[in-house]
Amino acid sequence: MDTITRRKFLKLSGAAAVGATAPMLTFEEIAIAAQARPLPLGTPILIMVTLYGGNDGINTVVPYSDSLYYDLRPDISYAPDKVLKLNDQLGLNPAMSGIKTLWDQNKVAIVRGVGYPKPDRSHFTSMAIWQSGAPETKLNSGWLGRWVESQAVDPMLAISLGSVLPPLLAGEMRSGSALPLGGLVIPTGTFALDCQKIARVASSDNKLMAAAATSMRTLFSVSSNITPILKMPAPVADDLPTTNGGNAGGDSNLSQQLDVVAKLIAAGSPTRVWSVSLGGFDTHANEADTQAELLGTVSTALTRFASQMKNTQRGKDIVTMVYSEFGRRVKGNASQGTDHGTAGPVFLIGDRVKGGFYGDQPSLAKLINGDLAVTTDFRDIYAAVLEDVLKTPAEKVLSGWKSKGQYF
Amino acid sequence: MGLTGLEEERLAIARLYQRFAFGPRTGEFQAALNSGFAATRDLLLKPPASDAGANRVMAPKIIDLGPRPNQKTSDLIEFNIALRQQVKELPIWWLDRMVQADHGLTERMTWFWHGHWATAIGKLNFAYPMYLQNETLRKYALGNFADQASAMLSDGALQYWLDGGDNTVKAPNENLARELMELFVLGVNRYSETDVRELARALTGYQVVRSSGKVTLNNKRFDAGIKTILGSSTNFNGASATNYLVAKPDAAKFIVERIWFRFISSQLAADPKLENAFQARDIASLISAITDISYLGDPANSIVKAPVEWFAGVARYLNLTPSNLKTSAQLLSYLDKLAQVPFNPPNVGGWPTDEAWLSSASAQSRIQFAGWLIKQADLTSLANVPVKKRVAWLQDELGIFALSNRTRLALEGVKSNPVQLLQLAICSPEYVVSA
Repeated sequence: MDTITRRKFLKLSGAAAVGATAPMLTFEEIAIAAQARPLPLGTPILIMVTLYGGNDGINTVVPYSDSLYYDLRPDISYAPDKVLKLNDQLGLNPAMSGIKTLWDQNKVAIVRGVGYPKPDRSHFTSMAIWQSGAPETKLNSGWLGRWVESQAVDPMLAISLGSVLPPLLAGEMRSGSALPLGGLVIPTGTFALDCQKIARVASSDNKLMAAAATSMRTLFSVSSNITPILKMPAPVADDLPTTNGGNAGGDSNLSQQLDVVAKLIAAGSPTRVWSVSLGGFDTHANEADTQAELLGTVSTALTRFASQMKNTQRGKDIVTMVYSEFGRRVKGNASQGTDHGTAGPVFLIGDRVKGGFYGDQPSLAKLINGDLAVTTDFRDIYAAVLEDVLKTPAEKVLSGWKSKGQYF
Repeated sequence: MGLTGLEEERLAIARLYQRFAFGPRTGEFQAALNSGFAATRDLLLKPPASDAGANRVMAPKIIDLGPRPNQKTSDLIEFNIALRQQVKELPIWWLDRMVQADHGLTERMTWFWHGHWATAIGKLNFAYPMYLQNETLRKYALGNFADQASAMLSDGALQYWLDGGDNTVKAPNENLARELMELFVLGVNRYSETDVRELARALTGYQVVRSSGKVTLNNKRFDAGIKTILGSSTNFNGASATNYLVAKPDAAKFIVERIWFRFISSQLAADPKLENAFQARDIASLISAITDISYLGDPANSIVKAPVEWFAGVARYLNLTPSNLKTSAQLLSYLDKLAQVPFNPPNVGGWPTDEAWLSSASAQSRIQFAGWLIKQADLTSLANVPVKKRVAWLQDELGIFALSNRTRLALEGVKSNPVQLLQLAICSPEYVVSA
């Protein structure tokens, strides 16, 4: 066993030993605790929406008054009378009418030109950088995973919808939990007790076996809490108006994911971070229809979610952040699409958000190698989210990063 | 954590089966222990001239359906029914091969290459080209990587997936060029952005028929100019540029890294010495080198079985034929809950590894899945083993290297009930992880 693995292994066994001497929570106790200790009203809740594939920022927040935009993208640009105007220069993609309504209510902050130093155009590297929150050093943990580790142990603290945990919520020693969509059936009776026996970390376990055991332990605490809640109807929204680029990850059922989140938040789940995703933004070809459909899905799902939550006591507590691993090349390609690019806009949505534009709009006249310049480091946003939403000092989670935006 | 020689041998044999053969069938692990590591390795690495088990699996009824008919004709309904049937049949057919093949390595390598050239059926939405790609990957599974890469360049499913048909001299589409460098041949950061753009020019001109996967070269759309790729300037085309990349030392480095990452350890770096075994780009030689006992017998090289590997291992042991399971739709639904369905990787980077498979959600699905499979299996042989001996017997049947006291005690607690014993054993950390 190499030193790193061994050290981690020792740490893991150490953690198990601490658990054994501290009050050891049983599954039943956690289930009772979750019913008994709903998230205090007024606690901010973060919803992370990851758009996989590289969303084209220029056609999301359209620089409709810039003639260069039309010169560079003759085939896939939106005419000034089509965009949903936000000011005299920028307008939203026509499919985003729901977000426009929230913008008009001053609940949407759009941070422009967001990225990181030395942009990488690989989906995987770039998404790993965004999710780890560490462009300069290679960290295997996610920035919200490190936040989880800065908090008291609670498997319900951060939950990702879908059965694979994104690196975003992975910590070094502890991680957030994953929750699949669809039915949750957990073993019952004596067999459940037997399953719990193999869910303990054994002293002979290596790191992966310890993780396998722990995943079963978390399973029982998460699902025994959540099963009764999922049977309840979702909060009702009473004021609602009535894919090609699919090879770079993410789920396709954003509304369904947000429905589950809405139910759980309304029921008082002691969860402060939720992670949902939508894939298909890798629009190398025939971008216009595909991206409009996807942005329409995002806009409709988030608007629906917002109005569902408005009728609960927690509507005011929710902050949603929408991001993607990179924007796209400014000049369109010959397939009515765009190739991988750099900076893109990040959306922050909620009652706690001070609506408006932040960060400088990258200039179409000053492209770097055909790509937009990064004008805001994503860590400025992460720092604000950590400190102003999650009420946690940002420096440690972000490896000493010091500046932050004022969006809340 | 030193192992005795005997323990090292047991560990290495367990991993040979787990990682290179989709797991042992009944009695195989015990027999392998008797014949020793070297003989077992020879047996598992040398494909037979003809594989009776694999030959029992009938070729799928997947044909070129032709272009999608126009909207609102009755042809469209028929077409959709036929397509849906093919899309469902394709993964079940392959799972049958994984489980039925007497010699697991060829299917295991085909499975690896599918994750490497990760193409998903969703965008293409035709089963036939995916089937052809699968046959190509099988043909070159243990062959020469240069031949494999050339064949994949002309693969309709891959070309369509990465917008190859849209890449023309007028304005290149970089999708295929970038992934060819980053994910298929060289590895990330071993080229510049300029190299990507130049390679995209070399890859211009391909056209794909979506329904048949037929790829042709259209010279009018090809950029015939000089391209400079990784310092070399000439009038590259797709074939010559691919050969050129495959011959680069970084290609050997990358393929060694990828095979190491999936078969030996995703946590620890590959042994650079293995690149020597891949000088001629011969995949079988690399597999032979990488199955050395110094790697397989090292306890640090632990990996998590991906869901399909876990399933195939259970099905091989229980002698279950995937297409006979009730029902195929349920089988695919379980695999979907575990986030791994053949022909449907989440993205062009393929499936994740290790901890990503160990979420609380997948633990729950795995327990249900295990129960569903066991209900359809014949457990007579386990029931016939005296209760006192069952735990140790099952450990060897499943090819588990070692049981922790935790798991041993849990299994001892349910040993009088064969169903629960087996369900718990195949969901235990010792089985879920290739320790």
